[in-house]
Amino acid sequence: MTGQDRDVTRTGQQPWKSPVALSLLLHGLIVVVALTGWSWSTPRDEPQPQSIAARLITQQQPEPSPVVEEREQPDRDEERRRDQEEQQRREAAERRAAEEEKAREDARRIEQEKERKQQEAEAVRKREEQKAREEEAARQRAEAEAKERERQRAEEEKRRQEEARQAEEERRKQEEERRKREEAEKREREEQARREAEQKRKEAERRLREQQLEALAEEADRAQQAEARRRQEAAAAKAREARMMSESEKYQALIRERLSQAWYPPSSATEDMTARLQITLLPTGELQAVKLVSSSGNTAFDNSALGAVKSLSRYPIPDDRDTFERYFRQFTIEFNPRRLQ
Amino acid sequence: MTNRTRTPGKTSRIRYACQLVCAFFVCAVLGSGPASAELTIRITEGADAAIPVAVVPFAESGGIPSSDKVSSIVQDDLTMSGEFNTLAPEKMLSLPSQRSEMYFRDWRLLGQRYVLVGQLSRSGDRVEARYELFDVNREERILGSSASASANNMRTLAHHISDKVYEAITGVPGAFSTKLAYVTLDRASGEPRYRLQVSDVDGKRARVRLEGKEPILSPAWSPDGEKLAYVSFETGRPAVFIHELASGNRTRIAEFRGLNSAPAWSDDGRSLLLTLSKDGNAEIYRMDIASKNLKRLTNHWSIDTEASWDHTGNGFFFTSDRSGGPQIYHKSSENADPRRITFGSRYNARPRPDNEGKYVYYVHQRDRAFHIARTNLKSGEETVLTRTESDESPSVAPNGRMLIYATKQSGNSVLTVISADGGAAYSLPASEGDVREPAWSPILH
Repeated sequence: MTGQDRDVTRTGQQPWKSPVALSLLLHGLIVVVALTGWSWSTPRDEPQPQSIAARLITQQQPEPSPVVEEREQPDRDEERRRDQEEQQRREAAERRAAEEEKAREDARRIEQEKERKQQEAEAVRKREEQKAREEEAARQRAEAEAKERERQRAEEEKRRQEEARQAEEERRKQEEERRKREEAEKREREEQARREAEQKRKEAERRLREQQLEALAEEADRAQQAEARRRQEAAAAKAREARMMSESEKYQALIRERLSQAWYPPSSATEDMTARLQITLLPTGELQAVKLVSSSGNTAFDNSALGAVKSLSRYPIPDDRDTFERYFRQFTIEFNPRRLQ
Repeated sequence: MTNRTRTPGKTSRIRYACQLVCAFFVCAVLGSGPASAELTIRITEGADAAIPVAVVPFAESGGIPSSDKVSSIVQDDLTMSGEFNTLAPEKMLSLPSQRSEMYFRDWRLLGQRYVLVGQLSRSGDRVEARYELFDVNREERILGSSASASANNMRTLAHHISDKVYEAITGVPGAFSTKLAYVTLDRASGEPRYRLQVSDVDGKRARVRLEGKEPILSPAWSPDGEKLAYVSFETGRPAVFIHELASGNRTRIAEFRGLNSAPAWSDDGRSLLLTLSKDGNAEIYRMDIASKNLKRLTNHWSIDTEASWDHTGNGFFFTSDRSGGPQIYHKSSENADPRRITFGSRYNARPRPDNEGKYVYYVHQRDRAFHIARTNLKSGEETVLTRTESDESPSVAPNGRMLIYATKQSGNSVLTVISADGGAAYSLPASEGDVREPAWSPILH
């Protein structure tokens, strides 16, 4: 409401929009134009004084020629007469000039008077015009002011209405806002409750997931450890195996050598005969059992093989119990003469 | 030599399945675990030595002739074969004669593989031998039998036991009960005395079957062991005779112009291979003994001689110098083209095949020395079997495991028995003078 008041006041004070100022400005402008441009703007209005002056200049035109002739005449009388004449002429000329000057001065005075009168008339006219204009302006101003007042009143009314409307609107808005706020608050409360519930639920879920993850991680960890352990064990087993293998090969060679020395293949033996015997040893290296698992088809040959196997009172076996168990607890011996002549 | 067999058994399959499952969870491919494998050791070489056997002196009851001790004869027989190394009785810790007296540990300590024990008992004129052969390591009796012979025939009884023991251990019939025929030359009385003799395989009980001042060559046993064919110069010229041992009857079956030599019996005893030069140069003929019909089997300008039937009875080996020097050839049938067998040196002669078709034995010259060699008929591989240097006349025992040949020993010719693969040599006790031209009999029944 106050904003609108201020706006109206400011509009009334605008200097360029005020009719008084406008008239002042116009007067100023006229004065300036009159002072500066009057002399060249007036001749068109007043041609007569100029044509009088021009006629005077044309009567004195033949004078220059006697000046030249005079120089060529040596006669003093003449000269004197000429001097007199000259004097006369000069005096005449001076008179004429003074007359002319006086005429011109008169003309000028007349002119000036005329101009002054004109100006005065003009000033009167202007004053009258100014007065009329001022009256008109005052009237208009009054009108405008009335209008303005009317307008302001209307505006005031309008503003009041507007204000009332706005107030109503405001009230309604506030009411609405309040309602909305209440609603929002309610919603917010509900939302809050929901969020809290959600939060709780999520928390529970998270906890559960964490537990699961933890369990999984533990599981993975255990698996990894088990795997690592298993790998380690496998590697160790492999190494042990290799060790056992080389150990085993050593003792295989020893056994082979001993058996080769102990075996007397019978003269009926042929290269295609093979007797397979399964040997079971005691950890002391003594023979626990021997079984003919595959006969050569020749009794003497089988017996020679059995005899050879049984002839060793103690088998060369590794000290390492694992190697023994792995390779020499039970194994197979094949008798197959390949170097028969 | 060693064979490692991996058996993908049930266990490994289960393990594999487990691994697959594990791989699913751990996302790791697991290395294969140790598969179960049973070790196999393959023995391809035997002891390069004779089998240690102890022949324990037999217990005796009743009047057992003391001259020929059965166990000693058996021990000598086994030794002679080259396959056995017998233990001297004085080294024995005990002298068992039956199982109840056997302490296997003792024999094992002595390194013996087999122990022969026995008892001799006399009943009237006959002597009975009960004998048992034990496998020391297996602690098993592998032979138990009894045999009897007249009291003056203890050698026959002993050789019989040797055969049984030999067969029990080696799986091959023994050849100790067979005979040898050979020719001796005695110059002691000033003029040469040639004697055709027949003895046991150990040279004992030799009996002269023919005696003369003219050379006797190439005795050959008939398949039944009852007759001998040989070359005799008794008529001043070489002639081929057939001699019936039991009766002493002799038949001159070949006395052709020129050379009559190298008789060899066919399997059925009905024909002989002979070398005759009646048609110009020495060629091989087959003579039907009953009809005396001849069939010429070789036809070459060079010498073809010393024929001997192969084990099939259809083809024969012979010596021919058709390639320049004497080499062994084989004809797979009477009409087949001869195939040269020997290439190892410039002199290979007197082929004697075994009865299995595996080897042919012959005299082989190398570095000016004459050895006995054999060639593996399948592989063509030649092996020199003897280390003596003037070896001749190889003859193969009927079981194919022994070989007898003549060689020089301190100036005299002697007979030596070796195992067929060139094992230990056993020289027969020399009788008077030179001993040559041995011929091993077939197995006698």
